[in-house]
Amino acid sequence: MSNSGAHGVTRPTMETGTPANAIPVERAVLCTPSDFIRHSCFVVFDMQPRTPITLVTGPLGSGKTTLLRHILATEPGRIAIVMNEFGEIAIDTKVIEGRNVRIAELGSGCVCCSLLGEFEAAVKEIINKISPDRIVVETTGLAEPEALVFNIQEALPQCRLDGVVSVIDADMLIRFPELGHTTRLQIEGADILLLNKIDLAEPEQIEPLEIKLCEINPTAAIVRTERCGIDAELLFGIGRERKIAPAEPGSPIPATTHRHHSEFQSFAFTSSEIFSRDCFEAFANDLPASVVRAKGFIRLADGAYLFNFVTGRWELEPFESDRTELVFIGKNIVSGKQAIIDALDGCIADTENKLS
Amino acid sequence: MAITDNLQKISDTVWELPPSYKEGMRVPARIIATEKLVREMDEAVYQQISNVATLPGIVRYALCMPDGHSGYGFPIGGVAAMDVREGGVISPGGIGFDINCGMRLITTNLTLEDVQPCLKEIVDRLFQRVPAGVGTHGFLKLTHDEFRDLVEQGARWCLERDMGWHEDLEFTEENGCIAGADASKISDRAVERGYNQVGTLGSGNHYLEVQVAQPEDVRDKELAEKFGITIPKQIVVMFHCGSRGFGHQVATDYLQNFLKVMEPTYGIKILDRELACAPFDSPEGSDYFAAMKCGLNMSFANRQVILHRIREVFSEIFGRSAEDLEMRVVYDVSHNTAKLERHVIDGEEKTLLVHRKGSTRAFGPGHDELPAHYRETGQPVIIGGSMETGSYLLVGTTSGSETFFSTAHGSGRTMSRTKARKLWHGKQLQRDLEARGIYVRSTSWAGLAEEAGGAYKDIDEVIAATELAGISKPVARFTPIGNVKG
Repeated sequence: MSNSGAHGVTRPTMETGTPANAIPVERAVLCTPSDFIRHSCFVVFDMQPRTPITLVTGPLGSGKTTLLRHILATEPGRIAIVMNEFGEIAIDTKVIEGRNVRIAELGSGCVCCSLLGEFEAAVKEIINKISPDRIVVETTGLAEPEALVFNIQEALPQCRLDGVVSVIDADMLIRFPELGHTTRLQIEGADILLLNKIDLAEPEQIEPLEIKLCEINPTAAIVRTERCGIDAELLFGIGRERKIAPAEPGSPIPATTHRHHSEFQSFAFTSSEIFSRDCFEAFANDLPASVVRAKGFIRLADGAYLFNFVTGRWELEPFESDRTELVFIGKNIVSGKQAIIDALDGCIADTENKLS
Repeated sequence: MAITDNLQKISDTVWELPPSYKEGMRVPARIIATEKLVREMDEAVYQQISNVATLPGIVRYALCMPDGHSGYGFPIGGVAAMDVREGGVISPGGIGFDINCGMRLITTNLTLEDVQPCLKEIVDRLFQRVPAGVGTHGFLKLTHDEFRDLVEQGARWCLERDMGWHEDLEFTEENGCIAGADASKISDRAVERGYNQVGTLGSGNHYLEVQVAQPEDVRDKELAEKFGITIPKQIVVMFHCGSRGFGHQVATDYLQNFLKVMEPTYGIKILDRELACAPFDSPEGSDYFAAMKCGLNMSFANRQVILHRIREVFSEIFGRSAEDLEMRVVYDVSHNTAKLERHVIDGEEKTLLVHRKGSTRAFGPGHDELPAHYRETGQPVIIGGSMETGSYLLVGTTSGSETFFSTAHGSGRTMSRTKARKLWHGKQLQRDLEARGIYVRSTSWAGLAEEAGGAYKDIDEVIAATELAGISKPVARFTPIGNVKG
């Protein structure tokens, strides 16, 4: 995962027709999802955007349900939340019994789902029935996120792993100095660590906790929260609706974010030039650790792509856009802003040799 | 893992972390394993087993069995006995989430030659009739109230509905129904998760296997006969499953309760919150004990219904009754439990709450809790290997008192499920196994890959370690020929 190093993945370009070595479509449907990766078994997609999946993990009682409530209250998109049981969030709502999933409508266009069958089948059913802007999966407090990450990356080509968020209770970390086996795995597997319930800890106790978390997972961003009050811009990449938050070039982070996390800043970069792929990939790999999230659209020689970056892990996905628009969010990144912009400017493809 | 300086070799199969290893340890922590197996264990096992040694009321040693690896709080393979009169605690992390996941072994009077021609039909039909996979529903339609009765009555509930023979109960731990299960102590949520899962295998390492006892694999002919392994190339059926989502929810509910009261009410300080616990004699502790027993009974009933389905399938295919096919239960053993047992400690008999997590009870000959049929031989112990390598029938020994009569439960993983998925591919694995004469059905290719033989320790090494340590003794080894993977 994120702590395995800063190597991004470029997805195969699925919209450019059937590759020469592809097997016929009627055989392709026989492939299991994992064959897709293992045996380069190409399945012909219509240009469906991939649905981002965010995994929420953390020990029992750390605040996962609170985070879900917070997401529902603050993130405007159409969200499908997958929980083991939805008793705590969806009460007295209309429930639809599907084959692999039970779905409760929350009124706001969002839904709450609980699994009846295999996770992969349930996610597919949710996408087909609801086509949500994003999916947020709450794992049980006992779950080890690595296996689910693997499931999403291997068996759900119609989804993109947007991030793994682990909610860690600061108060519990102080009271129980030895980390449990499962908690450790949940910290190791995270892109973003919410150090939650900081209001229950003394201010001077918090930094040592951050150091402890950082020793276990040096690449994850650590965000201090009370009642999981994290800004959605930091939490999520671009959703299926593909809207990018309006940010004037060089502006600080949007006001909503400012309220929660004064140490986080953002800036935008826009351009109508074409960028070199090799240079941009090297740029993404070399982004400083202070950048937590980067997202937007980038125009390369072979077309435009959606760019999603979270704490060192990034992906490019084909997308229609006539401009490059990128937003960078991180801890005190304004000081490194010029270097990032210069590096991007250095990736503008030589127009003489432009392929297009 | 590397063997630390603190780990003292007591004998070839006993390794000890003394109480000086960590502040707060009340007793030494002991790992029962050969040096090879100790080296294969992950480092967290040291931390976990020494944390267990700090729990209030623990007696003699915190133990880890030869197949141990790290788990939630306790290692899987952890054994800890608490003196309930000396403030001993009960800890869900010491029992496991899949309460009473366990093994059941059934004999037949069929041989490999009888079964070979219709093996695929048998496995395919078992696959249909014993639903496997995450979240699956069983064919048994229960109301919530009926389910509450079932968790109080265990396998007896099934017998009253003609799903089993009277002797099945005799050959099940606790006669298939542990006393003191109280359905008023379980949440509606737990009922919701379990009421439609009776008669299902589940996922992960749960499975149902058709196996053969090759004549050269019968290690103790006399005992094997007493246990019902009487003919060359005899076919047996072994399966592994537990209390499904129900047990999981019971454990989750009480872990949360315990975290709230443990320190404020009872002043218990623990190092790792995954070891959340409460005094056994506290209201919270006794409520969990009564709820956990519901998990035990749910699991006994689950295995009883599955046994009934297996008998139906064999009976249909061979056109003979299950009685005629002599489809007897050898024994049903539990892995994830805490039970009140009497043990002699320093010459004095004490009532102890024995936590066994990923460990099998293995009473030796003469134990008064054993059914008459096994009183002289000792308790049959069933240890499942990976789906590729084979499984064992063993017997408990009188020398097992050092581990509170507990032994290993399986071969134990050597790598994470994710790593196994990266190394093997389920579909290919199925083809390879079929070429070797093992026919496998699974609901999930990825899940199948997780259970590849290479992801597990060498079962023969684990069994040899238990024999060398004197905690159980092999009777027969079985080779798989058909497998329904959960």
